[in-house]
Amino acid sequence: MYFTEFIGHKDAKLSLILNLIDPQIGGVLFVGKRGTGKSTLARAMRVLAPDLPFIELPLNITEDALLGGIDLEETVKRGEKVFQPGILARAHGGVVYIDEVNLLNSGVLDLLLEVQSRGENLIEREGMSLKHPSSFILMASMNPEEGALSPHFLDRFGMCVDFKNPDRAERIRVMKRTLMEGQEGYKRRDEKIRMRIALARELKDEVFISDDLNEKAVELCLGAMVVGHRADITLIKAARAYAAFCGEEEVSERHLLKVLPLVLLHRRRNLEHYEQEHSEPPQREGEKDRKDEREDKEHPQEVRSHGEEFAPSSLDQGGGKEEVFEVGETFRVRRLFLRKDRTERINLGRRTKTRFSGKGGRYVRSVVRKKEKDIALDATLRAAAPWQLLRGGRDSIIIREEDLRFKERERKLKHLVIFVMDGSGSMGAKKRMVETKGAIQSLLLDCYQKRDKVSMVVFRRDRAEVVLPPTSSVELASKRLKELPVGGRTPLGAGLLATYNLIRQMRLKHPETRFLVILVSDGRANQNVSDLRVWEEIERCSISLREMREADYIVVDTEDKSNLLRTDLAFKVASLLEARYFTMPDLRAEGLVQIVAENLSPSS
Amino acid sequence: MIFPFSAIVGQDDMKLGLILNIIDPSVGGLLIAGEKGTGKSTAVRALAELLPEMEVIKGCRFNCEPGSDGLCTDCKGRLEKGEVLDTESKKMRVVELPLGATEDRVVGTLDVEHAIKHGEKRFEPGILADANRNFLYVDEVNLLEDHIVDLLLDAAAMGVNYVEREGVSFVHPARFILVGTMNPEEGELRPQLLDRFGLSVQIQSIKDKALRAEILRRREEFDLDPEGSSKQWEREQVELSKRITEAKSRLSAIKVPYEILQRIVTLTSQLNVDGHRADIVILKAARALSAFREKEEVEIEEIRDAARLGLGHRLKRSPFEEIKAEREKMEELLSSL
Repeated sequence: MYFTEFIGHKDAKLSLILNLIDPQIGGVLFVGKRGTGKSTLARAMRVLAPDLPFIELPLNITEDALLGGIDLEETVKRGEKVFQPGILARAHGGVVYIDEVNLLNSGVLDLLLEVQSRGENLIEREGMSLKHPSSFILMASMNPEEGALSPHFLDRFGMCVDFKNPDRAERIRVMKRTLMEGQEGYKRRDEKIRMRIALARELKDEVFISDDLNEKAVELCLGAMVVGHRADITLIKAARAYAAFCGEEEVSERHLLKVLPLVLLHRRRNLEHYEQEHSEPPQREGEKDRKDEREDKEHPQEVRSHGEEFAPSSLDQGGGKEEVFEVGETFRVRRLFLRKDRTERINLGRRTKTRFSGKGGRYVRSVVRKKEKDIALDATLRAAAPWQLLRGGRDSIIIREEDLRFKERERKLKHLVIFVMDGSGSMGAKKRMVETKGAIQSLLLDCYQKRDKVSMVVFRRDRAEVVLPPTSSVELASKRLKELPVGGRTPLGAGLLATYNLIRQMRLKHPETRFLVILVSDGRANQNVSDLRVWEEIERCSISLREMREADYIVVDTEDKSNLLRTDLAFKVASLLEARYFTMPDLRAEGLVQIVAENLSPSS
Repeated sequence: MIFPFSAIVGQDDMKLGLILNIIDPSVGGLLIAGEKGTGKSTAVRALAELLPEMEVIKGCRFNCEPGSDGLCTDCKGRLEKGEVLDTESKKMRVVELPLGATEDRVVGTLDVEHAIKHGEKRFEPGILADANRNFLYVDEVNLLEDHIVDLLLDAAAMGVNYVEREGVSFVHPARFILVGTMNPEEGELRPQLLDRFGLSVQIQSIKDKALRAEILRRREEFDLDPEGSSKQWEREQVELSKRITEAKSRLSAIKVPYEILQRIVTLTSQLNVDGHRADIVILKAARALSAFREKEEVEIEEIRDAARLGLGHRLKRSPFEEIKAEREKMEELLSSL
């Protein structure tokens, strides 16, 4: 496929050209839905710059392969350590492309970005200490539906382009092109662009930038509320490259404005507008940058009132009234952090990472000592290699015990998220239940992205019920949520008991699962299921639950906090469970301050 | 002995989906969703007999295509040394990816034995190598471990398997036709993987009494006397293979009127499908279908049938929206074509 054969996405094409003119721009990230042509265009870079090394970073890459390590064959032959360059050495002066960058092991990404920013690769591994220059244009693509990239990584990309869904005319043009691939004419057009790039490369350092324009660039970046200085620097470099590409001697405002969106898109509040433009239910976990947090802290008093009217029916405790409420608006959930797990477990999932011992999982690195016998043969051979001449083996390699290296693998741990829902009449204040369902829907979205299993327990009237056994079908959970009826008394103790039994059962079946229990209730328990009194029952269950080391608890308080008669009973449950406590507005990303405040001083 | 493809009763959509993929591998595979025991695996395994032959570079472990620019590291090395690469004919295969497969078996790894004996690194090909230019079949694809799915997506997107691990660095083509089966009750498939399947079919067990009895009869016959029963179907098998081969050779001559392109886009934009993939898949499947039906150009009828296969799994936009309503909308649009 030729570069000029690619239809549409002019911004994206321009970003590639500018990066080739000035590699210091810092690469580009393509963001878009599936099938919009992100990787097709990225690979067209090969055609645009046939002389540069173009390396695709496979997701299966190990650290050795990236950074370099011992060259087995040469080391054996010579009896001294010989360095085998890794991908980074081969990529020097060229392009590194990562498809699905949001799925790449973040440790590998860290290493990569560190080298990129330093411009050289420092190697301190397997008894070797050396360095070599390594600078490259970093290109990546990702589909935000598959998970987010942290702002820290985002900022490292010089530019970012949004691949919007194609319009009708574009769709037809693409189909027509599919039917007649490989036409002449494009070859010549590609050649022309390549010449213009080569020319611009020569000229760009001569392009003049006035002080006024520098100031203008700073103004534009400040106006967009970006963090740090990377945006300003990239903006000027990009504008200069563009002016050079246009064959002009001085950068004008036109050049600046042309490249501005490329530079700012990902630096402005973490692509938040991306979601708005695509007007769909939020797909990514919420991650606000620190700046926002600070801002929020300065206006703590204006939270709290989220416009819910005084609702007397919320006190209605009994009654056989049964209603089904619709699902309210969803929002991005702030990240739910869990204790990083150090024990070794087997299941997969995306919330907590764990090093573990079984086979399977991603082989990340080799270590010298490990109990299990999963030998890293590559590393073992490399460790033995320098001694071969000395040990004098013929036609075979002699391996001693001290050479043995073992595999360390990383797998993401599977979580079971149990929603424990209050289905009693006191939840029935219409607006509140709608909002609650919205909150849970948002949590479910989060679970989907983390590949968690979900389960749902509902307690109302005189019992608790597991309405949704553990499943990975979030769709099913969502359906159950929609059907969830409300009405009757509040047997909170029963809900906790059912949760306890569920965890115990699951622990037997899948001993390596971690549990996240999300209790959604206003805490107004008024129904016991044993001979104990209501709150005694709750206390006992809480103690048993608390003792389960593999479970974390979150209590979402659905009580209307603007109501004069509020009881804060859910907070009491949260303290019994040693749970993290959220009110409804807290869960919304913008209510971040409140979470902090409330965790510090419960009575406020 | 494999149960003959032609002897499978009903499930026409599934059979058609498989056949279209043989005619034009760039259609991009098939996802078969359905309950247990509806003949999903039987059909995929039976496919093997119908597959045509392909030209490969002789002695290449990766079925490299003669004259292609995406050769494996081995073939490239041989070319650079000035060797002349002979070709040979090889039958296409159905390669299976079992659920428990580990990462190193999927992408390939260091040849341990060779390394220990000779102190030399050599690449030991994995399943992706076998799968190049063949069918790659994953039973219960929704149960595949996450990191294996990532690898599969990576290779499927690039059409190439880049291996950079354990000190081996190797590149070989990995263009495979992905066929997966799943029972939706057991869990969902990631949307990204879903989108990688060109076509999809939903199958159900056959309710018709007479047809059910026929299935039973044919199965019994085969189990008791595989050879005899296969012989019975031989003529039909040969005929079907011939039809497929002929369609394959006619494929590039099929005309696609401009109006057809417009129809496709109208359809996909009314259903708000993401990206270009749906358009391209429908176009290619419709073209393959026209070739199979011995037509000279693509007609509305082919669009309708191809769209049904190409859109079913692309309707869902988020895991929470009602799929049913969208499906009804699609059926409505299709019948009004």
